[in-house]
Amino acid sequence: MSEHHLDIVRQVLDRPIVDANHYNCGKVDDIEIGLEGQPKVISLLVGNDLTSDRLPEFARYISRKIFGRRRVKIPWSEVSVITDDIKLAKNADEYGLDERQGFIYEFISKLPGAWKK
Amino acid sequence: MNKFLEIFLGILTAMGGFVEVGELVFSVNAGVKFGYHLLWMVALGTVGIIVFGEMSGRIAAASSQPVFYFIRQRAGYGAGLLTLIAANVASLLTCAAEIGGIAILLKLLFGGNYFLLAFITLIFLLLVVWFLSFQAIERIFGLLGLMMLVFVVAAFWFGPDWSAMGTGFIPNIPTFETSSDYLVYAYFAVALLSSIMLPYETYFYASGGIEDGWTPNSITENRFIVIIGFTLGALLSVALILNGALYFAPLLIEPQLPGTAAQAPAFLFGKWGLILALLGMFFAFAGAAIENALTGAYNIAQFFGWNWGKYRVPKDAPRFHFAWMVMFVLAALIIFTGVDPVEVVEYSIVFSIVILPLTYLPMLLAGRDKDYMGPYANGWLAGILGWAFFVLICIAALAAIPLLIITHGGRG
Repeated sequence: MSEHHLDIVRQVLDRPIVDANHYNCGKVDDIEIGLEGQPKVISLLVGNDLTSDRLPEFARYISRKIFGRRRVKIPWSEVSVITDDIKLAKNADEYGLDERQGFIYEFISKLPGAWKK
Repeated sequence: MNKFLEIFLGILTAMGGFVEVGELVFSVNAGVKFGYHLLWMVALGTVGIIVFGEMSGRIAAASSQPVFYFIRQRAGYGAGLLTLIAANVASLLTCAAEIGGIAILLKLLFGGNYFLLAFITLIFLLLVVWFLSFQAIERIFGLLGLMMLVFVVAAFWFGPDWSAMGTGFIPNIPTFETSSDYLVYAYFAVALLSSIMLPYETYFYASGGIEDGWTPNSITENRFIVIIGFTLGALLSVALILNGALYFAPLLIEPQLPGTAAQAPAFLFGKWGLILALLGMFFAFAGAAIENALTGAYNIAQFFGWNWGKYRVPKDAPRFHFAWMVMFVLAALIIFTGVDPVEVVEYSIVFSIVILPLTYLPMLLAGRDKDYMGPYANGWLAGILGWAFFVLICIAALAAIPLLIITHGGRG
């Protein structure tokens, strides 16, 4: 595959996103494409609101009820390298994609031994 | 570590981790009901799990990408999510069955309240997975599960009829008086196949390979471990069938509870036979409970792109660690509802076979995908055997629920 050709469905959609330190940030749940003039990728989208849209109608409702309607937008210019993963230029927390926050993190990080290998 | 020692330990671990509660219950009862006749199903199931175990290990070693990455990329979000839910429900039921089985064993060993013992089991499992490394868990439970070899010694001691045993390894349908007996035979055949080829095994094996840091250089090692380890593990299943046929059948006992199986070695070797059998079962069931809880967490984390793995510092993979804890707690809650643990075992096996095609198809597709596997994609042998077993498990999956209902769970 040449560097001028990128299959955004096979090589970008549903691929893992990692930050500058190779920390996992979720997956590419949807892709925003601008259709003015030459079609081009504007941003990568992450969040349950978008994946819910990809489910059949009844499941969509349940999915949003349980897991909410989060949406995070990452401008395409933030993508630094595309291999098996989509690597971003900055750290996870700068995009609001760091899983080291919220009640699950608060719970796990307080357990004895949580900071040791 | 010395390469040979590593392979040797790997084989023993695979062997000791082969049997879990469903396999134990169905193997012993298959022996009681049908003597040597269903041995061929153990042989068939073992070849099946070797084919898919080898494939999933190779996928982990060649791509170092977990299977649920692949499933979501190729199947898309909706179909991938369905596979995830099915796989995790199967793992949850199996985990619950193991916890129930352990509580019964502890009751036999020490007496006491079943629910309290199930609760203690839950705490024990949570502590073990939290504090021990992946490698330690793998070794400890695999190797100590080998105490179940006392069933192999017992099977020899009872003096099996070798020629009848040999015939049992050839696919056969014995002649019965009533048609319902044929259905019960079919039910046990399907359940034995399912208990050997449980879906979590391949997922766990693939993620475990990544935990162990496998590279393409590990492919040959993986092949040795899977082929020899699982074949020796099947020896345990065969031994359990023989214990059923030679000890329980003449006494007209159909051991429903997992602990009852220990009576056979206890009869031969007294107190120590009993203790070895019960401890062996304890470690085998606990190992399977842990593998199922971890499998659930691996699957979810890989599907949603979270940080995962026991090799990570827990605070850096909080959701993954939370997920296996939730798996354990939900599994224990199933047991706390007071449902008969034997029924949980039965449903876990039947549900597993129903979703087996959904489990093995992605594995087959990943294994043959050259983009994903490079030069390590399935060869002709893995391809032919893989598809042949896929057809077989599809037939078994279609037959499983009707057989469960018609035969009243094998009771005729």
